[in-house]
Amino acid sequence: MTAPTIRVVELHKRFGPLEVLKGVSFDVHRGKVVSMIGASGSGKSTLLRCINHLETPTAGDVLIDGESLCYRASPDGKRKLRPLSEINRMRRDLGIVFQQFNLWPHMTVVGNVIEAPQRVRGLSRKEAMELGAACLARVHLAEKATQYPARLSGGQQQRVAIARALAMQPKVMLFDEPTSSLDPELTEEVLGVMRELAADGTTMIVVTHEMGFARDVSDRVMFLHNGLIEEEGPPQDIFGAPKSERLRQFISKHLR
Amino acid sequence: MGNWQRLVWNQRDALMAGIVVTVEVCAIAFAIAVLVGLLLCLVRMYVRPLRPIVIVVIEFFRATPILVQLLWVNYVWPALFGWPDSFFAAAWVALAVQSSGYLAETFRGAIEAIPKGQREAAYSVGMSPVLVFWRIVMPQAALSSAPSIVNQFTVIVKSSTLVSVITVPDLMFQSQKIVNIWYEPIEILTATAALYIVLIFLVSAAGKHISDVLRRRYAIAAT
Amino acid sequence: MSESLHQALDLSLFWEYRHVLLGGLAVNFYVFAAAAVLALGIGLGAALLRVNRLPVFRWLGTLHVEVFRNAPEYIMVVWVHFVLPLLLGYIIHSRLEFNPFVSSVIGLGFVYSGYFAETFRAGIEAIPIAHIEAGRSLGMPERLIFRRIVLPQVVRRMLPESVNQFISLFKATTIVSLIAVPDLMYDVTMITQQEMRPLPLYTGAALTYFAVILAASSVLRALSERWRARIYA
Repeated sequence: MTAPTIRVVELHKRFGPLEVLKGVSFDVHRGKVVSMIGASGSGKSTLLRCINHLETPTAGDVLIDGESLCYRASPDGKRKLRPLSEINRMRRDLGIVFQQFNLWPHMTVVGNVIEAPQRVRGLSRKEAMELGAACLARVHLAEKATQYPARLSGGQQQRVAIARALAMQPKVMLFDEPTSSLDPELTEEVLGVMRELAADGTTMIVVTHEMGFARDVSDRVMFLHNGLIEEEGPPQDIFGAPKSERLRQFISKHLR
Repeated sequence: MGNWQRLVWNQRDALMAGIVVTVEVCAIAFAIAVLVGLLLCLVRMYVRPLRPIVIVVIEFFRATPILVQLLWVNYVWPALFGWPDSFFAAAWVALAVQSSGYLAETFRGAIEAIPKGQREAAYSVGMSPVLVFWRIVMPQAALSSAPSIVNQFTVIVKSSTLVSVITVPDLMFQSQKIVNIWYEPIEILTATAALYIVLIFLVSAAGKHISDVLRRRYAIAAT
Repeated sequence: MSESLHQALDLSLFWEYRHVLLGGLAVNFYVFAAAAVLALGIGLGAALLRVNRLPVFRWLGTLHVEVFRNAPEYIMVVWVHFVLPLLLGYIIHSRLEFNPFVSSVIGLGFVYSGYFAETFRAGIEAIPIAHIEAGRSLGMPERLIFRRIVLPQVVRRMLPESVNQFISLFKATTIVSLIAVPDLMYDVTMITQQEMRPLPLYTGAALTYFAVILAASSVLRALSERWRARIYA
C-alpha cells in the first residue's frame, strides 16, 4: 500500500477560547475523492484551510507525500516550525478553490491562470500561455481567456478558479464549498467540471453541501461534528446506512 | 462692460503665462504628493516603530489649512532647513505637503479594502509575500484609489490659487495684476473664475470616467 | 538650524498676543458658522432640484453643483467681493460695496453648497424607495414624508461625509484674511509685519489650527459614529 498523498494527524485548531478542531486524523490516497460534510461550525472549512496552512494548526500535523507541512527536522534532531517561505513552496502542490472564487479582478482570465506558473514556477510566457489555454479548455472556458473576471458569471468565475488551481499541477485539489455562493442554475456547470476531474483521477478533498455530488462522486465521505470526525466511510454506507442519529438527521435535512 | 477684448483677450499672453505657471506648480506638487503619500502610507503600515511619528505627520498635514501651510513653508522652513529657496519651490512644497497626507490615508484605505481572499488565493498558489504585494495588492490599490488621486489633483489646482499670495506668478496673480492696472475687475475676474472652473471640471470629469471604467471593466469599487 | 528651531518654537511672542489672536480665531468660527448654514441650506435646495421629476430643474441643480463644486474658494470669494457689488450696482443704479465678512460668507457658502448638494443627493438616493412607499400607502402627504422619513435618514447617513466637508470649510475660512477680514491669519500677518519675527508667529498659527481642527474632527467623528451606531443598531 503506497503512502497516502495527504495524511492529517491529530489536528487541533483553537481560535482564542474556542476549539474548532479537536483532534482530526485521516488519510487521502492518490486518485481518491474525499468529501467532507457537516453542519456549519462543525469545523470542515477550518480543517481544509489547515491542510494548506491558511490557518496554522494549534497542534497536530499535515503530511504531503510523507513530508511534514507544519514542521521541519532541525539539525539537532528536534522539530521546528516551518518558516513561511518553505510552506509557500509546498503550497504549490496543493490547489485550493474558494467559496468566493477570489479571482484577481485586475487581470484577465488567462492572466489569473498563468500568474503563478509564470512567477512562481518560472515558466516562460509562451509555456505559461500554452498551459493556461490547456487548463481553460479543461474547464470549458477557452473562449473567455482575454476577458476580465467582472464580465463572467459566478459559475464561470469558479471554473476559472479551478483552472487557476490546476495550472500549478498540484498533487491534491482542495475545494472549500465551491458552489455555496452560486445560484442554483450555475452550480451544475461547476459540479460537472469537478466530476470530470474526479473521473480523470485527480486527488480531491471537497467540503460541500451538495449531497448528490458527495454520494455519486466520492470514494469516501466524512461527517464532521463539533470538530471531530463523527462517522466516515464509503458513500453507500454513509448515505444508505448511517450509524449515528445526528448523521441521519443531517442527511434527511439536506439530501434532496 | 463690453471691455472683454481690451481686458481679457489682449491680455492673453499674460494670462497664458499665468496658466503655464499654475500647471507647472500643480504638476510638480501632484507628483511629489503621490510619492510622499505612498511613502508615508507604506511606512505607516509596515514599519512599526515609526508608526506614531508618521501618524502625527499625516494628521498635521491634514489638519492645517493650505494658506497656513503655504506661509509656514515659505517663511519658516528656509530658516529651519535652508530650503525652499524660491517662492515657486515653497508653493509646490506646500501644495504637495497638503495632499500627501490625504493620499497616504487614501492608499491605506485602498490597501485595507482589498478582500482577504485575494491574498489567500495568491498564497495558496505559492506566491511569496513580496510577490503578493507587488502583483496582487498594489495593482488593485492603485486602481481603486485612482479616482481619489484625481480628486486630489483638483484640490491642488484649487489651492494653487493661493500661491499668488507668496508672489508666484500663476493665473490668479496675473489676473490680479491686470485688475490693479486697469481697475476694472468684472471681465477679468469672471474670465479667470470661468477658466479655473472649466479646467477643474475637465479634471474631475476625467476622474469620473476612470471610476466608471473601474466599475465596468474590473468591478473594483473606488475607495 | 537649531537657533532657528529654538526661535520657531519660542511661542512666547505668540502667547503675548493671545487675546488678539483668540479674537481672530473667533472670527474664523463666525465665518465658518454663517457659511455652513448658507451652504447647507442652498445645498439641500440644489440636491432637491437634482432629484426632481422635471428635467429642467434637474439640469439647474446639476449646473449649480458643477459650477460651485469646481470653483476654487479663493477666486469665488474675490469675485463676490469685487465683482458682485459692481454687477448689482449696475442693476440698481448705485454704488455698492460688500463688507468683506459678507463676501466671505457668500463666497464660501456657495462653493460648499456644491459639496453638500452632492452629499445630500447621495443620501436621498440611498433611501430605499420602500420607506417612501410605506409612507404613501399610509396616506402621508409628500411634505410630511420628506420631513419625517427622508430628511432624518439623509442627515444620519451623510453625517460622516459631512464632517469631512465641515472641516474643509473651517480650513477654508483662513482665506478671508486675504480680503482683510480680521481672522487669525490676518492678525498673524499684521503682527508679523510689526514685529518682524515670522518664525514663532507662523509656527504658532499652524499649531493652533492643528490643535483646533484635530480636536474638533476627533470629537465630531466620535459623535457621528455613536449617532450612526444608534440608528443602525
